[in-house]
Amino acid sequence: MRIGTGDLPGCSRRDFLKIGGLAFAGLNLPKLLAASGGASERSCIVIFQNGGASQFETFDPKPDAPSGIRGPFNPIPTAVPGIHISELLPRTAKRMNRFALIRSMNSDEAIHERARQYIFSGTRPRNETLHPSYGAVVAREWSPKNGLPPFVAIPTTDLAAEAGFLGPTYDPFVAGDPNTEKFSVKDLTLPTGISLAEAGARTRLLSALDREFAKVEKSPLIDSMDEFHQKAFDLISSPRAKKAFAISEEPEKLRETYGRTAVGQSALLARRLIEAGVRLATVFHGGYDSHVKNQERHGKLVPEFDQAFAALLDDLDERGLLATTLVLVIGDFGRTPKINSQGGRDHWPRAFSVALAGAGIQGGAVVGSTDDQASDPKDRPVKIEDLGATVYRALGIDYRKNYHFGGRPIAINKEGHPVDELWS
Amino acid sequence: MFSFHSQRVRVGGSGSRRLLWASVLLVTLTAALAGQPAGSEWKAVRFEPRGISLAGPDLSQHYLVLGVDQLGNEADVTHLCRIISSHPRIVTVDTDNSVVTGKSSGRAEIRLTLGDVHDSVEVAVGEGRSEMAVNFSSDVVSILTTKGCNGSGCHGSPAGQNGFKLSLFGYDIGADHQMIIHGHDGRRVDLEHPEQSLLLRKPTFQVAHGGGRLFDVDSEEYETISSWLQSGAPLDGSGVRLEKLELYPAERILAGLGAGQRLAAMGRLSDGTTRDMTREVRYLSADEAVATVSPEGTIASSGRGLTTITARAMGKVATSQIGVIDKLAGDNFPSLERNNFIDDLVFAKLRKMNVRPAPLSSDEEFLRRVYLDAIGWLPTPREVSEFVNDTQPGKRARLIDRLLERPEHASHWTVRFEDWLRNCQLHMQGRSMGVFKDWIREWLRTDRPYDAFVRSLLTSLGDTMRNPAANFWNPSADFMSKQFSVTKATPTVSRLFLGIRLECAECHNHPLENFTQDDFYGLAAFLARLRVKHGTGAYRRTWYLEESGEVEHPQTKRPVAPKLPADATPEIPEEVDRRQILAEWVVSPSNPYFARATVNRFWYQYFGAGIVEPYDDLRSTNLPTNRALLDRLAQFFVESGFRLKALHRLILNSRTYQASSTVAGRDRKPSPLERVLFARYPPQRLPAETLLDAVGQVTGVPHRFKGYPQGTSAKDIYIPDIPDYFLVTFGLPRRDILKGRAETPTLSQSLHLMNGDSLREKVEASDNVLGELLEQGASDSEIVSEIYLRAYSRQPKPTELETITEFLSAEQAGGRDHRRGLENFLWAVLNSKEFQLNH
Repeated sequence: MRIGTGDLPGCSRRDFLKIGGLAFAGLNLPKLLAASGGASERSCIVIFQNGGASQFETFDPKPDAPSGIRGPFNPIPTAVPGIHISELLPRTAKRMNRFALIRSMNSDEAIHERARQYIFSGTRPRNETLHPSYGAVVAREWSPKNGLPPFVAIPTTDLAAEAGFLGPTYDPFVAGDPNTEKFSVKDLTLPTGISLAEAGARTRLLSALDREFAKVEKSPLIDSMDEFHQKAFDLISSPRAKKAFAISEEPEKLRETYGRTAVGQSALLARRLIEAGVRLATVFHGGYDSHVKNQERHGKLVPEFDQAFAALLDDLDERGLLATTLVLVIGDFGRTPKINSQGGRDHWPRAFSVALAGAGIQGGAVVGSTDDQASDPKDRPVKIEDLGATVYRALGIDYRKNYHFGGRPIAINKEGHPVDELWS
Repeated sequence: MFSFHSQRVRVGGSGSRRLLWASVLLVTLTAALAGQPAGSEWKAVRFEPRGISLAGPDLSQHYLVLGVDQLGNEADVTHLCRIISSHPRIVTVDTDNSVVTGKSSGRAEIRLTLGDVHDSVEVAVGEGRSEMAVNFSSDVVSILTTKGCNGSGCHGSPAGQNGFKLSLFGYDIGADHQMIIHGHDGRRVDLEHPEQSLLLRKPTFQVAHGGGRLFDVDSEEYETISSWLQSGAPLDGSGVRLEKLELYPAERILAGLGAGQRLAAMGRLSDGTTRDMTREVRYLSADEAVATVSPEGTIASSGRGLTTITARAMGKVATSQIGVIDKLAGDNFPSLERNNFIDDLVFAKLRKMNVRPAPLSSDEEFLRRVYLDAIGWLPTPREVSEFVNDTQPGKRARLIDRLLERPEHASHWTVRFEDWLRNCQLHMQGRSMGVFKDWIREWLRTDRPYDAFVRSLLTSLGDTMRNPAANFWNPSADFMSKQFSVTKATPTVSRLFLGIRLECAECHNHPLENFTQDDFYGLAAFLARLRVKHGTGAYRRTWYLEESGEVEHPQTKRPVAPKLPADATPEIPEEVDRRQILAEWVVSPSNPYFARATVNRFWYQYFGAGIVEPYDDLRSTNLPTNRALLDRLAQFFVESGFRLKALHRLILNSRTYQASSTVAGRDRKPSPLERVLFARYPPQRLPAETLLDAVGQVTGVPHRFKGYPQGTSAKDIYIPDIPDYFLVTFGLPRRDILKGRAETPTLSQSLHLMNGDSLREKVEASDNVLGELLEQGASDSEIVSEIYLRAYSRQPKPTELETITEFLSAEQAGGRDHRRGLENFLWAVLNSKEFQLNH
């Protein structure tokens, strides 16, 4: 860890000065982190806008642009004077003081697969070697809590969320769609008609059979099979784990507040899971790839997101979880300023917005801006690598740490610098 | 100590008495360190390095001497043997410091004696000036390397350090010279006043330096750099180059903690002379938990295992393989029956490293294993009893012959090839996957030579539906543009058929390797003219050659001529498909990589670890754990005419493959060396396809794949549009990206086995194995026997039968009906490690 360069993970320049002073009082960095909630007490919810949401129809409206660019929706004021976002986000607007925006995200990856891997890991995909996603790194760096899988994807997963070279141990656990009538997580509950007592009995028989086989060396492979078997059994038998996924236990009213949509119920499940001990939950909200009928798509999807995101911020805040939970809203990329002949917007990585809340991020902050057609950053361009460093700093993970793969060291995040303004 | 006086020997010529006393003292130390029982008799003694050719008088070379005792164990006897020079006026021997030094030009013989054994080597001394001009590459960069200046944590990092950037460990001499002389407007050197140069003031800490003080003003290093600056700081205009670096001993086994070995390094220079590099290289131990190495080249053992010591200087690298064991094997080491040469070489290594081999597997153990490995299916209860009751000699060999001829053998290994060749959906849009799969399977079934297989792939062209081999190029199409990507194809070819990972060399020379960016683009040039056309609906592709087209070197921006890695540039007539030249070279018996890479890949499949690990990374610093075995297997494969079945047959018939997987004594702590030296068969996970087929065999309910007829093997399906959950969860790889078959267990696997429908449906099916047996009126113990035979290829032991019977009664007592209890027993078997592992 390099100290004094300002990129000390989880620690701004100002913190660094504070530590310098506190060091004399016997409070070192780990203690300081512990005092502020501690890195290992952090968690994260990622809402991933599959396909890439339009910056115009979300967080960076351009009312003064020509009609072929600005689109049909108008900006509305937010809780923070001077900041305007799309009218498709009325509830979010009222909570502007709780989250921050980076409007000057700047990338050059316009291919879905690559762009998604890039922004979900903070590292540009190279040589077909898949870099671990934020969730996989969290799963690798933090031990699981309360017998729950550390990294959960709702309702489905995506290649971009995978653990890549860290191996499938750190891939997300897939929860399924909580917005279905009889939602149950795949393989998490015992088959119908099998009681826990029966499962316990047959598991004891299994242990007896395995004992006979134990003459074979205790290899890491066998240890790890045992470990996962135990974890699986804990997960099935632990009422706490079962409860974590039991979205039906949420009050009807709250479920309505999040919205009876895939993203609404997924966000609610994410909150339940984080509360129960999951470290990173990601919600995939799909279909933003509006090459045709941009107005219709965003007109449907953004309000769904608006309701879910606003409810999530309120809910986390009320439960005192927002201080330790980073909420991140990202997507593949932005969309073209010019609306095409089919009323769609195409891929646009050069300028787009992301939203961040919680875990110490300053609400109401807006970093960077774009030109009057939202086609390029006007100031403070932020690279994907910088976003990655920002995420890891908020989570208190040493992002310059190296993993080893294929005989070479690969840093969690090699060259990004956190966006300091989000903490000021 | 005085008792050793009798060992004093007369050393002719230059040996001084004082030195002799010192060596007597060292005798005792060395003997103790080597764990060598005093008085043991020596079988051989060897002086290293050989072929010393000193450029001139006053130059020296460090040496060492290894002795081999009657049991075949090696020991460092540098200070135990008598060493004399035939012509002390030409070469002197300093036994105290283990160096030979040139005195005048000529040749002298170094003669050594240890007990009854002798060795001699010739040392040449040239007329070279005693004051050699300082060379940038051999002298200055050498200092930057040994002092750590060009390491990855310092100026050798990709970004350099505070504006001063050097190539990692000095692999790019030209760039380093440029940076030192001209970087930052030449502020680092002052040729008028060398002592004012930052290059000297920084490392001596006359000015602040983040790296601290590295040497003093009166040091040899300072002197060297200073005289180089005085001579005008040339980039080795006429100087000699280092052509090869050698490290001695190349291999050594240390017994006990704290055991040591001094290394000697020698460089072979372009002018034919040699140079002592012992103090000029940077040493690194790959695993410090096994052995550490000091900057002066002294190794000390720290724990059991195997490690590689690398020495580097000026872009060259040399290795020494160090094994650390508790104690050397005594004469009570078991001697084993051998089946073929694999065993001779494996056992020799085990003996050397004192690792006891596992006993022979039982018939049942062998039977289950060889079925799973050779054909990917469990033996049926009938096959088990036939084999176990067969009393004719040679039954294992006969079984192996039969299995290799079964069509399932080809199907099973086709899946491996599909992983390796990345036969996948995304790049192929479905349809031609099956064409490719069928073609591979037919090739394996008929055992056509593997060199011809590779030649077909590398020279394939045409419509992928009509010419199956052309599907080989599909993963080399760019993800987005769908055009051929030569930078994707080049490392694929290199890794698959040469075992060389060239990926790094796309962007930079590898600091530790002999393969360079030039090699990457030289190889890429063979593929430069390949192109692809996409048919309608994107189902079909046609690979064709352009008449012209070259790859461009990223640095020189010039077209690169086809060049074989570490080989000459071939003459290629314009009209010839360059890929044919490449293919001929790849599969040529004289290519040192192809056969080794192939046999290592197959060895890995059988033993879960390659002789070189990772199995597709045969770079020179990544040493095989048993070099003789790898070399001999490669030779066998070439001599067999590249027949894969001959290779399968050889491995399966070896006593090494047929060793038990069970640890001999339960209390014995297994050595970490057992696995890498192949002392026993390591338990391994079944591939997803084999596991799913085996579940079908045991339950009597084959898995049903959407769109395929009932009973289709998991190995024979083409990857469906929606991949099967079981197969994906148990590691079926996404072959469109470089992501190997998952080899670690996961939570989803455990959950799916416990609760998932793939197992449950089969356990509960009314017409499954239980239904059938119950209908026949089988008793519980008959049912248990049948399930044991199906799943484990053996009968239950009485204690197991008792446990299961108790369980079944308890189930009934718990209110579960008879069949339900049996289902729960079946579930436990399918979840057990004995079933899920091949062992």
